[in-house]
Amino acid sequence: MKIFFLAGLVLRQVGASLRHLFWTHALTAATTAIALFVFGAFLLFQTNLEYLVRGWGEELQVSAYLNRDVAEERVGALLQRIEAMPEVARARYISHAQARGDFQAALGARSGLLDGLPPDALPASVEIALKPAARSAESAARLAARLKQDRDIAEVEYPQQWAENLDVAALIVGWAKWVFGGILFLAVFFVVRSTVRLALFARQDEVEILQLVGASQTLIEAPFVIEGMIQGLAGAALAIAALWGFYWWLQDQIAVFGAWLAPLGGIRFLPVERIGLLAAIGWLLGSAGSLFSLRGFLRTWHASSARL
Amino acid sequence: MIQVAHLSKSYGPGRRALTDISFEIARGEVVFVSGPSGAGKSTLLKLLFRQEEPSEGQIWIDGRNVTRLASRGVAELRRRIGLVFQEFRLLAHLNALDNVALAAQVAGASRRASRTKAYQLLRELGLKERYDARPLALSGGEQQRVAIARALINDPALILADEPTGNVDDEAAEEIMKLLLRMRERGATIVIATHDRRMIERYGTRVLRLEQGALIRDLARAAEP
Repeated sequence: MKIFFLAGLVLRQVGASLRHLFWTHALTAATTAIALFVFGAFLLFQTNLEYLVRGWGEELQVSAYLNRDVAEERVGALLQRIEAMPEVARARYISHAQARGDFQAALGARSGLLDGLPPDALPASVEIALKPAARSAESAARLAARLKQDRDIAEVEYPQQWAENLDVAALIVGWAKWVFGGILFLAVFFVVRSTVRLALFARQDEVEILQLVGASQTLIEAPFVIEGMIQGLAGAALAIAALWGFYWWLQDQIAVFGAWLAPLGGIRFLPVERIGLLAAIGWLLGSAGSLFSLRGFLRTWHASSARL
Repeated sequence: MIQVAHLSKSYGPGRRALTDISFEIARGEVVFVSGPSGAGKSTLLKLLFRQEEPSEGQIWIDGRNVTRLASRGVAELRRRIGLVFQEFRLLAHLNALDNVALAAQVAGASRRASRTKAYQLLRELGLKERYDARPLALSGGEQQRVAIARALINDPALILADEPTGNVDDEAAEEIMKLLLRMRERGATIVIATHDRRMIERYGTRVLRLEQGALIRDLARAAEP
């Protein structure tokens, strides 16, 4: 029973504090929102960069040219062998005629250049798209080596330099996520913590009085942590709303960013899991910021009161 | 009730607040701690309710060594002690009733029960009409009576008052002192730190005199009728 009475006390304290110190809480939530907006903008940039690199990766294909003696009826079995390989997402057969047609289409007005050539001048091939996890220079090389061992395949080609550049780009994006994300997260944490600490000084009396009437540490901390969670979630909600507005503004400004965004077909908003991540960070920062600030404040208070 | 043995408190080299103090206080006794400013009166009280830890020595309250309590034990100790301060220490955003009830709620009482008891106490202390007022709307004497009601709500066996009349006029001081002493009838042990000689002369049955952190006199005398 006692625990319910104490829980009731905590909730009443939270309610009273939200009413009584509305503007202090609003200021803390706004600061959290600004900090999370910066972090969210980074996530937005990083998400789109990932899509961009993924788009480049989709263009990475391996071409396997077939021996001239491979009969059409053996192609089905060959495609099955290729598609069974772990790196392969799909394989498409290009016959002699189709290869010639594609080449002619590519030559356009100069397609007459092919007129003197025999119909099977261009080799039949299999175009192989890679699974997302296998879109790297190493995977492409491994697949090419395995394909070369097949009795029906004469030659294997893939854009090696392109694949290596893709690796570097993916590596940079991956590291940027952790390095800049980590730095920004810490910055956000310290901003929120400092704001909470300032707000705490306004509530110094409340903490002291609760201690003097014999409130346990948990009872003193609980309302602050709950308020911190509410502030953090409110800050995250504001930040997500502002990011949504920022995203639409960016959509309007898309022309400014030039052709490099073309593979994306425009920029994309944060996926649901990253929106959830922002909300979770807000929640965590609010509660942890409050808890750490309160504990720091209590230590300072003990030290200063001991000197009086 | 209280046993203090060889108690010393130092805030660093050359900053000794209390030096080797020993005394005992029996249950139901009223003791005044007197002395000039800086004599160590407040420090002694802070050590008794464990706002501070002693540099040396031991304190037992009800047979329990309070110098060795962990934070949970300290909170528990304070719930059994009624504290009254010169600056009242009331929460500005709560009314008188809720300020008093808070101390009972912290100890696990229900909201309804604690408010009922708080109202009874405020009525006893002459604040029946002022229960809904916030501290800033109350006079110094009224605020101190609210603080006394808060100190009493958990039926403490021990009341510690640090300069309880320091921030009120003479008339209110007299009233507050009488209220505090009335608590003896409830069986409480009362320790009052004050430098107000008039109060000590009028009400002091036992006086611990501190000077420069040392206990220089422990004087017991017959109570005034």
